[in-house]
Amino acid sequence: MPNIIYRKEPAGVHPPLDSPAYGSTVLRHPKQPLLAVPQAATELSAPRFDETLYYPHHDDLTKQCAGEPLGERIIVTGRVLDENGDALPNTLVELWQCNSAGRYHHDVDQHDAPLDPNFKGGGRVLTNEKGEYRYTTIKPGSYPWRNHPNAWRPAHIHFSIFGKSMLQRLITQMYFPGDPLLGYDPIFNTIPSEKARERLISRFDLSVTVPEFALGYRFDIVLRGSEATPAN
Amino acid sequence: MMSDSKVGLTSSQTIGPFFKYGLAWQDGEQAFPEGATGTAIEISGTLVDGAGKPISDAMIEFWQADATGNFGGPTQGSCAGFARAYTNPQGGFVLRTRKPGPVAGADGKLQAPHILVCLFSRGMLKHLFTHIYFGDEPANGQDPVLRAAGARAETLIARPAGAGKYAWDMVLQGERETVFLDL
Repeated sequence: MPNIIYRKEPAGVHPPLDSPAYGSTVLRHPKQPLLAVPQAATELSAPRFDETLYYPHHDDLTKQCAGEPLGERIIVTGRVLDENGDALPNTLVELWQCNSAGRYHHDVDQHDAPLDPNFKGGGRVLTNEKGEYRYTTIKPGSYPWRNHPNAWRPAHIHFSIFGKSMLQRLITQMYFPGDPLLGYDPIFNTIPSEKARERLISRFDLSVTVPEFALGYRFDIVLRGSEATPAN
Repeated sequence: MMSDSKVGLTSSQTIGPFFKYGLAWQDGEQAFPEGATGTAIEISGTLVDGAGKPISDAMIEFWQADATGNFGGPTQGSCAGFARAYTNPQGGFVLRTRKPGPVAGADGKLQAPHILVCLFSRGMLKHLFTHIYFGDEPANGQDPVLRAAGARAETLIARPAGAGKYAWDMVLQGERETVFLDL
């Protein structure tokens, strides 16, 4: 009987854990090499979830408070796939982001930009049978951070995705096309491969845009692919 | 290997410091619903950085088999065997769970009972994987992961700390650096 294993991730796609341009990595990466061990039952499986995880307006971040948030309303949609091109249905896709002024609804965020009483900024959906997810939200703002003098993060939305195996687990950030800050951002630019960096930039898509309501962006997410290997 | 992929993999990026409201999880530190079978245990510890300072803004996920060695499915608002904890201002974390049963390894032989750990934090551009084993478990001696870890295997082993309690710390750098896994 064949075993399923997940392919090693190609070089250049993920940022090195030791990426000194992003200063916080210096004390937060292991110095010893990761220990290569065989993939086995625990990591080859993954938690499965259902709609009991949802909360009111879990997929519409513009409706989670009493009023409407300020900012440019957008739709963000895409598919969750694996490297083989197979869709991943019923997969949990969580997201979180700052408001349109560049401030997170989080007590540690002290950026001198206004909080929006009508925006929290967290969402949670399961992909449909085609592996698709869809959120309504507002475009997040850019904000300064203290990595280096005059450092600003490009506008981004954080994504957290499960898969069929914990080996597919991924947390990433989605960026916006044409953002002038992308070239200056150490977090984005820790990714060695230019093609891989481009894949983190969502595409504006007129067919996703809802007339007289919201602009549409498409962002597909590709998780590790598996292959069958002969049993020992 | 790269040519085997039909579609380009999505890169990892850091979880950052501001995730808590987006990734909030009801009773996240509990891996099983009340009344689940098996021995109730609590594993607690501290996460420290390369300067020995506590990391107060990490998220730690745990995934494990149940007491019978099977992997669970959806429960009300979570999944049996899954937990999501956040470190506190002192870098502390806790997992309330059931002692996992043994599961098959890659060679089909049973592995020592263990819990998969997935660590995310600001300053980490990709999550780290490790395993927790149990100091009072006789099967540890034959476990392939512990054997591969050699002299550093003790960083993977939770120490018994009273009835149903275990202590297990994560250290990112230095002499007691935890073994993280390339899976």
